[in-house]
Amino acid sequence: MDKNNHYLVTGAGGFIGGWVAETIFLQNQHNVRAGLHRWAGAARLSRFQMDLSICDIMNPDQLDQVMDGITHVIHCAKGPSPESMINGTRNVIEAAARRGVKHMVHLSTAEVYGNPTGIVDETHALVKTGNPYADAKLEAEQVCAEYIQKGFPLSIVRPSIVYGPFSKTWSVSIGEKLKSGNWGIFKGNGDGICNLIYVSDLVKEVLSISQNEQAIGQSYNLNGPDSLTWNEYFARFNNALGLPELKVIEPESAKMKASIIDPMRTAAKYARDHFEKQIKSLAASFGPAKSAMKYLEGIIKSAPRMVDFDLFNRNAVYPDDKVRNLLGYLPEVNLDTGLSLTVAWMKQVGLIK
Amino acid sequence: MTDQRHPSPTIALIGCGAIAEQYYLPVFSAQPMLAKNLVLVDPDLPRIEKLAKQLNARMCLQDYRDLPADVQGTILATPTHLHHPMAHHLISRGMHILCEKPLADTAAHARELVELAEQKGTTIAVNYLQRLIPSFTRVKELLSQGALGELQTIEYIVGEEFDWPTISGFYFNAPLTSRGVLRDRGAHVVDHICWWLNGKPTLVRSQNDAFGGSECVSRIEFEHHKCRGTILLNWLAKTPCTFKVVCEHGVIEGEVYDYQTLSIQKGSEKKQKLKLAGEKTKIEIANRIVNNFVEILQHRAQPLISGQDVLPSIEFIDECNEQATRFEMPWYAIVENAHG
Repeated sequence: MDKNNHYLVTGAGGFIGGWVAETIFLQNQHNVRAGLHRWAGAARLSRFQMDLSICDIMNPDQLDQVMDGITHVIHCAKGPSPESMINGTRNVIEAAARRGVKHMVHLSTAEVYGNPTGIVDETHALVKTGNPYADAKLEAEQVCAEYIQKGFPLSIVRPSIVYGPFSKTWSVSIGEKLKSGNWGIFKGNGDGICNLIYVSDLVKEVLSISQNEQAIGQSYNLNGPDSLTWNEYFARFNNALGLPELKVIEPESAKMKASIIDPMRTAAKYARDHFEKQIKSLAASFGPAKSAMKYLEGIIKSAPRMVDFDLFNRNAVYPDDKVRNLLGYLPEVNLDTGLSLTVAWMKQVGLIK
Repeated sequence: MTDQRHPSPTIALIGCGAIAEQYYLPVFSAQPMLAKNLVLVDPDLPRIEKLAKQLNARMCLQDYRDLPADVQGTILATPTHLHHPMAHHLISRGMHILCEKPLADTAAHARELVELAEQKGTTIAVNYLQRLIPSFTRVKELLSQGALGELQTIEYIVGEEFDWPTISGFYFNAPLTSRGVLRDRGAHVVDHICWWLNGKPTLVRSQNDAFGGSECVSRIEFEHHKCRGTILLNWLAKTPCTFKVVCEHGVIEGEVYDYQTLSIQKGSEKKQKLKLAGEKTKIEIANRIVNNFVEILQHRAQPLISGQDVLPSIEFIDECNEQATRFEMPWYAIVENAHG
């Protein structure tokens, strides 16, 4: 490897983008420029003395500037909307192509396969489901395919469930739910396969792919070494947090609760989006209203959504044989290690005592 | 606030970014007599011209060194590393200052400003607004009265993702001495501790997560006489933001953003929730701070919080930064050891 490689990481203010930028910096084998949508997302990376640049993927001029001198791009940015995920990806590719980038890796998701069952390898059809995030990622992949056809050096990775320090969705949020005491083992609703990959395994694979010419034009599933169900994940995470044993939640009870809380969640989101100022003012001036809001927020945040059960029941495995054959590499962080690192991080920042 | 006996002073607001817009300008907007004498200073001229029009302000300038001689007081709402050079210039010209927190990036700079103001006969007021929050004030009163006996421990935790809408990115581009969660959120937290303790504590241990840049997590252990304490600050994840003060005969607990509530448990009695009167929002406190500054300029008041008052906390933060060691972070160790 060669220190003359200059990486641009788009979306470096996010969970995975941040990890990619940090890893390149810490391994000190390549130069890295962290592309941030806005300065407010810079706190985490400002701990390192690295090149931080504002990089709005919807702004072609800005992209052109930050792409100066770049040889490799890891595209993690998704932007604030489905449109930005799709058109932003096009903008990134075009800027990279103009600058003669050697290899770009596009971070997609295993969700582009829709809601399948069984073994889902890279030949599986990509299916839209109506999920705005997954559908936009699918369309962004179509943009990538268009440029691969034209000869642009690009690889696509499709990670499954990525967890670890800084993960809001699969670590912090699940940890908070477990701590609330309202979460549990969902009998009949959590026996689907939880395809977990620890974040540093993912980053290692992404960087290896970016250095491998044979990977150009290909798509890869990225998955971890463990095979377990969602309920097993909840139980083992709960155990790693040192919490009392999880209660078993009967299917009827779980679904009834979700069906009651889902509309409350929608209403709360609408109220927050449209009346945030008034709500804050009410909370500041009327204590009982604040307590009631806090209580409601706690219930909403700690309850599963109906759509979560679709995922928790999904019996699909996304094998990563293709990337293993390419790289000769096995993901090495098993769940016990990954959870222990995650919990140590949560303790450090004060999320748990 | 402004009547015929006390005409509205001429004030310059230097730095018209997010803090000015969210905190100071609403106060001026509500007081047209004060706003009409306001001078706005910021390099972004089109922006301040627009603001000046909305406020009917007196004038706009791009450079604070061009302020007219009749300006009596200046509000410094610029990035931290600019506080010292700007305040030095303005105090040297005989102007009174209301400075955003922290007063300066280092204790040496802060002390220099306080001494200069003394020489020049001007006043430095500082916007350490949280001292005016009813719950924090009540803790101070309880401790001063000794109502709960000797202080034993203080635990203070503040965790929230950094989300300040900084336009210039100064939080991350400024010199290292003015960056990081300890200088930012910690300016308030350490100030409370020093204020409650009536002085600067002794540093026992300071740890953070910086790799040559500015820290996002800071853990401080301190002691003061028989009291031991910990502070945990982070910019990475939202945690409960709380403080707990344990005394010989009772425990005080509060939430940082619940300005009017405090829990007190005396001895074996049941925990009591106190509802406190006073300011409920930041804007109400901004109003009080700015009006106090106006009264200072009219020679009718002393600062609610002076530059001298906050020196101990700035000195303690310097010590914490100087003696900080990096946390053990095994989640990075496996990355550093595994070359892709």
